[in-house]
Amino acid sequence: MTKISGKITAAVIVSLLAMQQSANAQQYELLESSNQPLSIKICATCHGSYGHGNPVVGGPSLAGLEPWYIKKQLQNFRSQYRGTQVDYLPGFEMRASVETLSDEEIESLLVSIQSWEARKPVATISGDSSHGSELYASCAACHGASGEGNELLGAPGLVGRDDWYMLRQLKIFKSGYRGSHPDDSGGAQMRVGMQALQSDQDMNDVLAYIGTLE
Amino acid sequence: MKKLVTRRELLTLIAATGTSSAVLGASAAIGLIPDTQVSIPQIPPIDAANRPIVAILGAGISGLTAAYELKKAGYECVILEAAPKAGGRVKTLRSGDIIDEVGNPQLVEFDDEPHMYFNAGAARIPSSHRNILHYCKELGVELEVFINENKETWYQDDAMLGGKRVKNIQFTTSARGFMAEILAKNFDRHALDQPLSEYEAEALLGAMRSFGDLSEGDLYKGSFRAGYRSGGFIDHGVQRDIIALSELLKSRFMRSALNANEGDTGPILFQAVGGMDKIVDGFVRQLEDKIYYNVIVSSVQLAADKVSITYENGGSKYLLEADYCFNCIPTHLMAGIDNNFPPEYIKAMSYPSRGTAYKSAFQTKTRFWEKEDIYGGISWTNQPMRQIWYPTHGMHKEKGVILSAYNYADPLYFTRLSQEDRLESVIRQGEKLHADYRQQVEKGVTVAWHRMNHMLGCSARWGRGFGGMTQEAEAMYRTLQQPAGGRHYAIGDQVSMHSAWQESAVLSAHWAINHMVERQAGAGDLPGQKL
Repeated sequence: MTKISGKITAAVIVSLLAMQQSANAQQYELLESSNQPLSIKICATCHGSYGHGNPVVGGPSLAGLEPWYIKKQLQNFRSQYRGTQVDYLPGFEMRASVETLSDEEIESLLVSIQSWEARKPVATISGDSSHGSELYASCAACHGASGEGNELLGAPGLVGRDDWYMLRQLKIFKSGYRGSHPDDSGGAQMRVGMQALQSDQDMNDVLAYIGTLE
Repeated sequence: MKKLVTRRELLTLIAATGTSSAVLGASAAIGLIPDTQVSIPQIPPIDAANRPIVAILGAGISGLTAAYELKKAGYECVILEAAPKAGGRVKTLRSGDIIDEVGNPQLVEFDDEPHMYFNAGAARIPSSHRNILHYCKELGVELEVFINENKETWYQDDAMLGGKRVKNIQFTTSARGFMAEILAKNFDRHALDQPLSEYEAEALLGAMRSFGDLSEGDLYKGSFRAGYRSGGFIDHGVQRDIIALSELLKSRFMRSALNANEGDTGPILFQAVGGMDKIVDGFVRQLEDKIYYNVIVSSVQLAADKVSITYENGGSKYLLEADYCFNCIPTHLMAGIDNNFPPEYIKAMSYPSRGTAYKSAFQTKTRFWEKEDIYGGISWTNQPMRQIWYPTHGMHKEKGVILSAYNYADPLYFTRLSQEDRLESVIRQGEKLHADYRQQVEKGVTVAWHRMNHMLGCSARWGRGFGGMTQEAEAMYRTLQQPAGGRHYAIGDQVSMHSAWQESAVLSAHWAINHMVERQAGAGDLPGQKL
C-alpha cells in the first residue's frame, strides 16, 4: 500500500468570487487562482497530457513542435487568420480557446510546451510511400529534404507530427479553410504548394512517405 | 447454453398476435423503457490492517457514489478532481460562480438570494430513478416537486398562425379534438384483426369522444378544457379559439405535443431544494477529506498488482499508486491522457462521440410568466433556443432565474457566436414568446457543455438504432464496461445505455463495484462466464 505523495489544498477563490467583476481579463484572473500552469489550464484538455495529442477530440500533438511555429500559429488564430470558419469545428474551437491570450501568456506557454517530451506518433494512414516520395519533391523545397522544416520560410518540420492531423490540414488548405486570409502569406504559400497533391490518394501517399522520414 | 428470446424477437412475437397497443404495454414490462431497482452494492468487510487504496478520477456523481460506498466498506479512497468544485455536470450556478468554458469564462452575477439559481446540468429526477433518490434520502438532501409539463405554457412555431404563440392547452385540446373526430367518424368495429364486440366498440367510441371532448355528431367544436378567454367564475366563461387543423398540421409540434413529456421527462419530476448540487454537497459532506481539487491527471498506468496515477498540481507532478482505479474522466479526454490500456479498450474509449448541449439562463426583473398563469413548466418554440423553463422554486418572489435556451440538436448554432451575440440571439428569439422579454431579462449566462473545461462534452453519444444501441456500439460499450487490466473501471453515465441521467452515473458505479467484489471472490478468475 502506498501513501499519497503530496498534500494538496483546494484553491481558495471564494473571497475573489465575492467581488462583482465582469471584464474578461478579471475573469481570467479568477480562473488563474486555481494555481495551475497556464499550459495545463489552456492546452491539456484538448491536446492531452504533455502535449501528446488526442485524436478523439481532434487536438494534435504539440510536444516537439518548433516554438517559433507554435507562436506564429497562436498569433494567426488570435488575428483570425485561422479558425473563423464555423464549418470547420476543430479550428473554430482552437481560435475561441486562445483568442484572448496576451503576448506574455503566449511566451509562458511556449516555455511549458518546450519542456514536453516529443513522442513518435502512431501511424494511422496507409499509402504508397514510393509514389509519396515523388510527390514530396515539391514539399521538400520549403519543408526540407528530410522534413526538418525551415524557419526562414515559415515551414514547420513534419517529422514526429500526427499523420491524421497533417491529412486534415492538407484537406483544409486544399478547400481553402486554411490559408485564405489575405494577410496569411505563409498559408497562401502552402495553398500554392497544394497544387502538387491532386487527390486524397496523393495526400495519403505523401503522408505515408513523410512517416518514413527520420 | 440456453438461447433466450431477444427483446426485439419478443416484441415481434407480441406484435404478430396483437395490436400495437399491446406492444407499447409490453415495452415497459420487458425494460425498453429503463426500469431500475435499488442496487446498493453489498461489499464484504475489509481487513482494517490492509485496506485497499482506490483512486477515483473525477468527482462527478459516479465517482462520488463509488467513493461513498467503498469508503463505507473500509476502502481507502482518494478522489482527484480537475475542477475547483465537485459535481461534474451536476452544476448549479449562483451569484459568484464561474463558468469555465474554454476561451469564454463567465462570472455569474445573479442576485445573491437562495432562490436565484440555475441548474445548468442535471435538473430533473424522475420517480423511477430509485438509486439517486435513495442517496437523496440517505444523505439528507431535501427534495421538492419539479413541474416539467404545464399546460399553461406556450407553443410558438413560425410555421403556425403566422408565428403567434398559443397556450399549450389550446394547442393540445385542439389537436386531441380533431384527432378524436377523425377516429370516431371513421370507426369500424370490424376493421381490426380481432373484431370488437358491440359492447367493446361502444366503450372505445366513448373513450374517443371523451378524449377529444366531441360535440354531437362526433364533431369537434372547441372545448372549455382549453381554458376560458374570459369569465367562467362570476360570469359565463368565453371559450378560447379553436386552432384549425390546417394550422396545427403546419407545426412539427403536432408530432410531439401530445407525448413530449413522458417517461424520464414526465409531467411531475423532482429537484433538490436550493439547487441540484445539494446532492453533490451531500456526498461531499461524507467525503470531505478524500477529495483533492485542481489536480490534473496526466498518466494512468496499469500493472499486474496496481494502478499508477500521475497527476499535476501547481506545476508539480505527483505519483499515486492504488489497488483499484474508478475513472469517470470523459472517455474522449481520457484518450489524450497517457496510458498503457489495451488497444481494444482505447478503441472503446474513443468510440462514443462528444455529446453537445447548449443552455442559457437569465435573471428576470419580474416573474412575468406568473402573470400569464404559468408556474413552472416549459414553453416550446421551433427556434434554435427551443425551450424556456420557468422555475418551480421561488414562486411569487420578485425575481427569478429562467432557462432561456436548451438546444441539444444544433448546439453549435449558439456556440459559434460571441458571448454577446449568443445572448442577443436568445433574447430576440424569446421575444416571440414574451413580447417584453428584452425589458425583463438581465445578467445572462451561457453553458456550452461541449466546450466546458475538463469535460468538452455533454453526455456521451453511443451509436443508436431503433430500440437501442447498434451492435457495434454495444460491443464497444461492453468492452469499456469491463475493467482494464482487472483494476481500472471506467464509470459515469458515459458507461451506461441511458446517458445524461444521474441515475445512470450511480448505476455505473454500482455495476463496477459489484463486478470488483465478484472478482475478488474469485469468480472472475475462472475461465468463461459465470452463469
